[in-house]
Amino acid sequence: MSAITVDNISKKFRIPHEKKTTVLQNIVGLVKRQFSYEEFWALKDISFEVNKGEALGIIGRNGSGKSTLLKIMARVLYPDSGSVTMNGKVASFLQLGVGFQQELTARENIYIYSSILGLKRRQVNSIYDEIFDFAELKKFEHMKLKNFSSGMSMRLALSTAIHANPDTMLIDEVFAVGDEAFKKKCADKMDQFKAEGKTIVFVSHALNTVKELCQRTMLLNEGQIVTMGDTEKVIDHYLAMLQIRNT
Amino acid sequence: MWQHRELIWNLTVADLKNRYQNTALGFLWSLLSPLLQALVLYLVFRHLWGQTENFAVNLLVGMMTYQFFSAGTSSSLGAIYGKSSLVTRVYIPRQILVLSNVLPTLINYLIAFVVLVPLIFVLVRHLPVTVLLFPLIHLIFFFFIYGAGLFLSSLFVYLRDLNQIWQVVTRVLFFCSPVMYPLSIIPASIMPYYRLNPITEFIVIYRDVMVAGNLPSLHSIVVVGGFAVAAYVVGSLVFNKLQRRFAEEM
Repeated sequence: MSAITVDNISKKFRIPHEKKTTVLQNIVGLVKRQFSYEEFWALKDISFEVNKGEALGIIGRNGSGKSTLLKIMARVLYPDSGSVTMNGKVASFLQLGVGFQQELTARENIYIYSSILGLKRRQVNSIYDEIFDFAELKKFEHMKLKNFSSGMSMRLALSTAIHANPDTMLIDEVFAVGDEAFKKKCADKMDQFKAEGKTIVFVSHALNTVKELCQRTMLLNEGQIVTMGDTEKVIDHYLAMLQIRNT
Repeated sequence: MWQHRELIWNLTVADLKNRYQNTALGFLWSLLSPLLQALVLYLVFRHLWGQTENFAVNLLVGMMTYQFFSAGTSSSLGAIYGKSSLVTRVYIPRQILVLSNVLPTLINYLIAFVVLVPLIFVLVRHLPVTVLLFPLIHLIFFFFIYGAGLFLSSLFVYLRDLNQIWQVVTRVLFFCSPVMYPLSIIPASIMPYYRLNPITEFIVIYRDVMVAGNLPSLHSIVVVGGFAVAAYVVGSLVFNKLQRRFAEEM
């Protein structure tokens, strides 16, 4: 059974010649009849499927549409045409610690962040200690987040995300926080997720991480799928493509 | 929305904590501000309308009603734009952000109106039974403000000077509502237009149940209910249309 079905997705961005952000500018624009904008197709006719338990990598140059695709899958952006079907509970990690509030304590933030990720209070109670143990922050439980170092709050966010236990995870380059020991712990956790049959979509420039994590990879260029298949081959294709461009 | 109730509640509590924990008097300030404003208006206008029945109490109730509306709508403007990471980085139904912005104001003014009850008793020396109806009026008014909040917060993403414009609009609405003067001074010829201001209708019905002790007529219930439904429907339609491009505009 496929966990994700992406069917013929296209996404167009409008780039106005003059960005109007106030009522006054809009009225002036209306009077002068300035409506002109350029259209930019960030994605064109993208279709693919991700099987349950599979880890799919998405690579490509800057501006190739990787993040746009992930945002559409995460339902943050709407496609202009086409549809996305997701089976099971989805959690998107386009950024860690979304909704963290500096004035509140670590404990309060865990409950807020977990509920954003779709957990019930009862479920949070049962993983609460694990979250702090994994992040190694138990003694800072009642400290306000503004007194955390950035590394500490990222560890807290990552630990919460990992324990949220979704069926499908959409990840955008975020799992590279903390020191080497913490990274190792995260890598182990990802292996465990794969063993448990979770579906992962991973967007990254870190080709080595993609190689370790994903069996299958998609190469995007200018909003279209160049090739998709075995990770090693796709990465070779990508490197060759970069080489041609540089010579 | 119901399945997201825990998230709504968490965000509401976080909002309340953020609002009040850094001010010394905290929540008290939000109570004192309308009371002091009502006091100033009373001192200024008592010579003109001081003889009107229950002038002071009506002023207080009118002030609280207006403040509930103006505080609720003004803070809702930034409900989407001020929470950009919750819009552009993760999917949650975005109405939640508006609801959890307006709910703290509801809680705030629920308490404010409860505090008003003993004040009414002191000033009028009796308390009408109909005061028990005020939670119902409050709920209808809340829906009206939530609808306006949906409308304003989604437009603000596209029109960043809307907060300045809205400030002017709320000031105008203040002078067009019978807060500091009695409704009786409005000439009959313009009364039908005057009563198109929703705040006027809400002030009248609050005063009916909290001070005068009149059961609100079916007609006035229908009118305020109609305003609330209209605000909610229009607000939702505009919000749903505009929210598709939120993440691109922010």
